Amino acid sequence: MSRQEEEEENAAELKIGDEFLKAKCLMNCEVSLILEHKYEQLQQMSEDPMNQVSQVFEKSQQYVKRFSRYKNPDAVRQVREILSRYQLAEFELCVLGNLCPETVEEAIAMVPSIKNRSRQLDDEAIEKMLNDLSLIKKFE
Amino acid sequence: MFFHIILERNMQLHPRHFGRDLRDKLVAKLMKDVEGTCSGRHGFVVAITGIESVGKGLIRDGTGFVTFPVKYQCVVFRPFKGEILEAVVTMVNKMGFFAEAGPVQIFVSNHLIPDDMEFQSGDVPNYTTSDGSVKIQKESEVRLKIIGTRIDATEIFCIGTIKDDFLGVISDPGATS
Repeated sequence: MSRQEEEEENAAELKIGDEFLKAKCLMNCEVSLILEHKYEQLQQMSEDPMNQVSQVFEKSQQYVKRFSRYKNPDAVRQVREILSRYQLAEFELCVLGNLCPETVEEAIAMVPSIKNRSRQLDDEAIEKMLNDLSLIKKFE
Repeated sequence: MFFHIILERNMQLHPRHFGRDLRDKLVAKLMKDVEGTCSGRHGFVVAITGIESVGKGLIRDGTGFVTFPVKYQCVVFRPFKGEILEAVVTMVNKMGFFAEAGPVQIFVSNHLIPDDMEFQSGDVPNYTTSDGSVKIQKESEVRLKIIGTRIDATEIFCIGTIKDDFLGVISDPGATS
C-alpha cells in the first residue's frame, strides 16, 4: 500500500499522500518566524545556542531566511489570509506564497493542480490573487 | 515543502528522572532524540514546537524503565516528486550540479540543464549560455522541479530538473560584480 502511494506521488497533481494533504503546510517566511522564535528561546537557556541545534535546523534556518519573500510578521499573516480566500489546498497555497509567480501562466506552471481540480479557478481569479500578493510585497 | 505536523513517539525514561521535573526531562530527551533526524515517511524533523500530550507511563518488565507515549508538534521538511522549489547551488561539475534546499540535497544532471547551456571548467566551474547572459555557478539561486526522490531510512536525496518553463537561475552571484 505505502509503496504504491510512493510510486504515484506527484505534487503537480497534488498527490502527496493523505497525511500530508491534510497537514498544515508552512511557507518559508512562516518557518523563518518559527525557527527564529525557537532560536531565541534556546539563546535564553544557554550561552552557545548554535551548539544546541542540529545541522538540519541550521540548514533550514539559513534556507528560509534566504528564500523568504516576506519578512515582517504582519505581511506573512496577510499573505496567508489573502491566499486562503481562493479555496486552495494548503500545499498549493504555500507553493504560491514561496515562489510568488508574476503571471497567470507562471502560476499555473508552478501549481498545475489549480487548473486540474473541479473548483476551477479561472484566469481572472488567479490574476487578482497575484495582484493582491504583489501589493503586500510593495507595501511591506 | 515545510509542514507543521503532529507525531507520536514512545519515550523510555530511567527511573532516576522521576520527580517534579519528569515532564521537562521527557521533553529534553525527545528534542535530543528526534530533532535533526530524517525518516522516509515524514522527512527531516527540523524543530519541535510543542507537546500535545504525554500519555500514561508503562513500566517495562525487568528493567524498571518506563515508556511514555508522547505526542508532539513539529516542523518537518519533506520534498515531493513534482514539487517546484528554490535552491542554492553548492557544487558544479561536468556531470551536472548539486543544490541544497534546506536539509535536502538535489542533483541536476547535465541532461536536465537546458541544451544551450555549456559546461565551463576553471577556477569557478559553471554552466553558461552561449551569449553569456545566464550562468549557473556555486552560490547561484535556482528554481527547480524535483523529478525523483531516493528515500533511505535516514536520508532523502533528490533528482531535479531546470529544463522546463519558468525554471532556472533566479539570481547569479557573479551578476553584480
